Amino acid sequence: MTVFTALFSHYRRHPWQGTALALLMLLATALWTGIHHLTSQARDSLGQSERLVEVREQVQRVDGAALTVEDFVLLRRQGLCVMPWLEVLPEGQSRRVIGVDPLAALCFQGQADVASFDGQPLVGQPFLDIADAAALTAAEQQLFLILAAGEGPLPSAYRTAPFALSPDTGQLGDSFLLNLDALSVLVLLITGLLLRSVYLLSLSQRRDSFALLARLGVSGRRVRGHLLLELLCLAALTLIPGIWLGQALASVLEGGFTNVMEGLFDSRQLATGGNHWRVPALVMTVLLLAVAMVDWLMPMVARATPGNRLRPAAATLLVLVGLAGVWLANALWLLFVALALVLAGIGWLMPRGLSLLSGAGVRASAQPGWRWWWAEFGVLCRRLALPLVALQFSLAMVLAVQALVITFEDTFDRWLSQRLSADVYVQVPEGADSALAANWLTEHLPSADEGLWHHVQRGSGRFRHGQAWQDVDIFAVTPVGPLMTGWGLLEQTSQPWQTLASGAGVMVNEQLAYRLGLSVGEELELVLAEQALKLPVLGIYPDYGRPAGEVLIAGQILPADFEVTFESFSISPASVPIETITDALRALWAEPALTIRDNRAIQDLANRVFEQTFMLTRAMTVLTLALAAVALLLMGWVFLSTRLWYFRLLEVWGMTKAEIFRKLLLLALAVTLSAAALALPLGVGLTWVLVQHINPLAFGWSLPMAVYPVFWLELLALALLIGGCIALLMRRQLGRPAVRPSVTGSVTGEER
Amino acid sequence: MRLRWLTMMLVYGLLAGCSEPGTDAGFAGLGGTAGPDDGFEQPGPGTELVFPRDFGPHPAHRIEWWYLTANLETDTGEPLGLQWTQFRQAIESRDDESPSPEPSGWPLQAAWMAHAAVSYREQHWFGERLARGYLGQAGATAEPFQVWLDHWQLTTGESPDQWLVQVSHGQPDTEDYWAFDLELTVRGAPVAHGVDGFSAKSASGEGSMYFSLVDIEVTGQVRLGRETLPVRGKAWFDREWSSQFLKAGQQGWDWFALHLDSGDKLMAFQLREQQDHFRSGTWIPAGGEPIALAPGQLQLEPGTGAEPVPTRWRLAVPDHDIDLTLSAPPGNYTNDGLYPYWESPVTVTGSHEGVGYMELTGYSEP
Amino acid sequence: MGGELANGENVKVHSAVNVSGLRKTFGQGDSAVAVLSGLGFALPAGSSLALMGRSGSGKSTLLNILCGLEQADAGTVTLFGADGRTADWPCLRRERIGVVFQEANLMPTLSLLDNVRFRAALAGQPETRCQHWLEVLDIGELGQRFPDQVSGGQRQRAALAMAFAMAPDLILADEPTGSLDRNTANEVADELFRLQAETGCSLILATHDAELAARCQQTLDLGHRSGG
Repeated sequence: MTVFTALFSHYRRHPWQGTALALLMLLATALWTGIHHLTSQARDSLGQSERLVEVREQVQRVDGAALTVEDFVLLRRQGLCVMPWLEVLPEGQSRRVIGVDPLAALCFQGQADVASFDGQPLVGQPFLDIADAAALTAAEQQLFLILAAGEGPLPSAYRTAPFALSPDTGQLGDSFLLNLDALSVLVLLITGLLLRSVYLLSLSQRRDSFALLARLGVSGRRVRGHLLLELLCLAALTLIPGIWLGQALASVLEGGFTNVMEGLFDSRQLATGGNHWRVPALVMTVLLLAVAMVDWLMPMVARATPGNRLRPAAATLLVLVGLAGVWLANALWLLFVALALVLAGIGWLMPRGLSLLSGAGVRASAQPGWRWWWAEFGVLCRRLALPLVALQFSLAMVLAVQALVITFEDTFDRWLSQRLSADVYVQVPEGADSALAANWLTEHLPSADEGLWHHVQRGSGRFRHGQAWQDVDIFAVTPVGPLMTGWGLLEQTSQPWQTLASGAGVMVNEQLAYRLGLSVGEELELVLAEQALKLPVLGIYPDYGRPAGEVLIAGQILPADFEVTFESFSISPASVPIETITDALRALWAEPALTIRDNRAIQDLANRVFEQTFMLTRAMTVLTLALAAVALLLMGWVFLSTRLWYFRLLEVWGMTKAEIFRKLLLLALAVTLSAAALALPLGVGLTWVLVQHINPLAFGWSLPMAVYPVFWLELLALALLIGGCIALLMRRQLGRPAVRPSVTGSVTGEER
Repeated sequence: MRLRWLTMMLVYGLLAGCSEPGTDAGFAGLGGTAGPDDGFEQPGPGTELVFPRDFGPHPAHRIEWWYLTANLETDTGEPLGLQWTQFRQAIESRDDESPSPEPSGWPLQAAWMAHAAVSYREQHWFGERLARGYLGQAGATAEPFQVWLDHWQLTTGESPDQWLVQVSHGQPDTEDYWAFDLELTVRGAPVAHGVDGFSAKSASGEGSMYFSLVDIEVTGQVRLGRETLPVRGKAWFDREWSSQFLKAGQQGWDWFALHLDSGDKLMAFQLREQQDHFRSGTWIPAGGEPIALAPGQLQLEPGTGAEPVPTRWRLAVPDHDIDLTLSAPPGNYTNDGLYPYWESPVTVTGSHEGVGYMELTGYSEP
Repeated sequence: MGGELANGENVKVHSAVNVSGLRKTFGQGDSAVAVLSGLGFALPAGSSLALMGRSGSGKSTLLNILCGLEQADAGTVTLFGADGRTADWPCLRRERIGVVFQEANLMPTLSLLDNVRFRAALAGQPETRCQHWLEVLDIGELGQRFPDQVSGGQRQRAALAMAFAMAPDLILADEPTGSLDRNTANEVADELFRLQAETGCSLILATHDAELAARCQQTLDLGHRSGG
């Protein structure tokens, strides 16, 4: 018999241990593959989208008539790459759908990319095939023709205009991706913990075999070598089905996800399918080996680790240093390192803390029965430390993601409502005189009864930062009225809008304030078209769209020679119908083809796209939690089965099976509930770090922090459910005759 | 509504990006069966060719193509190969009499795909375009004969035997741009393959209607980047339609069309199956009547050691004293589109000398 | 004390344990192994019985049946006058039957004293006598130690302390000295028989050891009875 068969015979005798290790490995691989796959997918989509978004244009008829399929055919037969985009509001429904033609979209991506064209059709809300969209009975319907980048001259009857489906959400998207990254790192950490726990368990179960081999003169090095080989075999066996399962999982979610990313980044680009399996295969193998070899490769580290007494102090120190780091970090990588320290420290402290709790419980209990229960609780917490920490992290992550998602949703919704506060938005055509329109609107919409409006002018100015001057985006509004004053401000002086309207101050976006450390009341030196101004900051407004700094001013302080790069009118009609207004503007500007966007439609579409994104994020975190729960279940079962004898001893001592089950249930519930209770502060902390620290560091803006106690209760209930499942599993075991721990096999079972 | 798209994706794999050879649907979904309930017509040995009608589309059939390959030379005598193909894939069948669907509904009854490629100095340029039918964006008519998708087109010139083929790809005045503009003079009557135009594709009766114009004179210009090359030479034009090309289990085909210096022409193909290959062809002697070649009369063997497809072949018809070696020039001539396949010019040596074209499909990595 | 009370309650019978026609078969069909076939014996209150026999002869099975952890296929078991079929076994085990195994009799998470207290509390006996029992068994100073901190012999002494602390009427001992060296085994056996005699409880002892068996008043050799 070789050393290898001797070692492997362990799994023949204890097939459940091998199975548990393999199953966990498989599930962990599947989970991480799935998440990695989706993250890569998202990144690909984003990359492609960004290339497209920057040069998005639409085609319009010079005569202002609506576009038809004939226009599309005419342009295509000229060799121009245009794609139809049919927005339909189905009759009797409040939500719009978009019909697209994936066949026509092929020319949008350049022939070099054809091989990576994955064939994910653009289906799924809000996108449909254009034939299906056209077949709907429509209350409203509008065809847009989108022009690919760099297309040659249009026939004279057509001209281009910018095409914006929604406000540029690129930054919110980036933020989402960053969170997704943080998530997958955390999942990897959790996976590592789980693998390590199963590995350690299997090792401890095999200490006798190792001792026997050592007595037979087999060197430790040789045993380790064979163990390594065994692990590699296991990896080879489980990686492939795991990766396959993960890919299957991802592809189930992918359909929705691809659309989400496309919708989110306003792109019809299809993501590359690509084989994302190599990275997970490599990562999981390395992870497994690292998990297995961490003891052997770093004996020095192990020696340097403080002894039992000093460990809690070292862990506390780690947490404190980490927390200080999180507080002070001024770079993203520092923040991540600090966060990792905090997590490591907490992971280290958690079992220790529960163990102390158990000791206190033992001391506080007079009854021997309760003393036994508390002592068992302590053993359980120590033996299941790693899967418990994994469960704690998973719960914390679910909590953080939940809070984050709700926050994102709320914020995005509020921000959209603020940015799109007017119902309709009319772009001022090039060369048209906006003053004519402003006069007309002043005359015909004098009050809110007729309708609300303001004139938006954008351009660029400079501001003084220390000794240097920097460029900044200028956002001028005339008049500053009810469409603006509803904006939520992060910081403000008293009566900020009145002061802004009078031209006696400016507002800045959060990005600019964050970068300059500006607060309300400070003065900002601005240069607009060579005219110098020194004005106080009246308010700081949230701005999630772009990284650029922006200064909001009243239009009246713009110098006459200020170069306006973009002009529009935001209008919310009341008694005066919008058609009257747009007809009047067409006539004033002698311009039949106006770019008019319905902000309600934009908001609706954008919201729906986000809904799906968030649903997916939640699904992924729930999967992680499920894995942690399964792991704890498996480990709890495996470990408790080694202690089955002692539960049977209670039966011998005259306890009924029901009494024993109650004790067991209470134990399992206490363990999972403790993990969940400890997860709550961690989760809240994690949320806080994500929204208050990571986002400002990455993007310059933060999301409002909110907590959702009802969800905490749900998580606690979930933890109880997991505990209940463990107890139920054990009840089955209790029905079977227990094997008395043998002399050699008693190592773990008799632990106290 | 979603279902409709899914059906299209699954059955026709039109946008599938990768076709899996060896699956029951066959290469590019060409093995889809014509059942009695899906409304598609399936040609058989009794089906007749009718001209000029059959130059136009056959909406009652599932798939068809217009296929032009040309072996040309530049004014300095360098060989240049060229391909223009347009495919029609029906998603719903439609009989010839019923009216076309309204363009305003953006119908998805048929999808069109156009391919164009230029092979020159061991390099290969390839382009692909897709469109839905019945909008006017893509289509074909028999009288006047024309086939188009976007601005790529084959049109008839002043007389019915004068054709013009125009293709351009990319933005003019860039390095990536390429285009061709050809004048074709068609000589001779259409050559019907198989039994009066019904070309069997398996021993069990699957097949297609298939005719060719084998004697076409070509002049024109090919533009590659900023370089313009005057070209002349000869072309081969295929028309083929069916509702089921491949039977289940057929993995792909190898097809050859050869212009021999003797003035004779030869078309030969084989459909690869797990065990046996189904072979067929037509020998077109100069000035004589076309002779259909029975499966047993053709010998066709790939050379060894070629990647990613066999680029050397031995083709023999002992009954007609033909024993040829066909070889593709060095280079990779994969048309790397939604369904990758190999399309390259070949030179002919052996019992006869000449040039021709070779199409190899259904290889795992063409 | 408990024994007297128990005997006082069951004045009608003079046997602590009465077994007749006991059968137990494991498995089914061809692979069935009859472990016990028609076993019968009576154990007077306060006396001792040694169960002899090879491994697998059914010693442990019989002990399990006698404390209600397993059911016999046929036959009757009467304990202190109560019919085994209707007896409240958990209650019997809690208060009247002490069980001592070869090893692992103690909860590893509790100190020796806590183990004894746990067992006594379950049996409804005062905890105040627990330290006394440890002292009786000569391990009075080890009460705060945990099972893994004492020797095997000391563990078995603690197990005996637990069994006697519950004031049993019957002690079932399954190879109680089986994992101890000769000297220690003799010392533990001495304590067992001494305390059994002092408290007047009955004892059924399963053992391989003929010397140990000889110290019991009766011997039942299962090795001869279980033929197949």
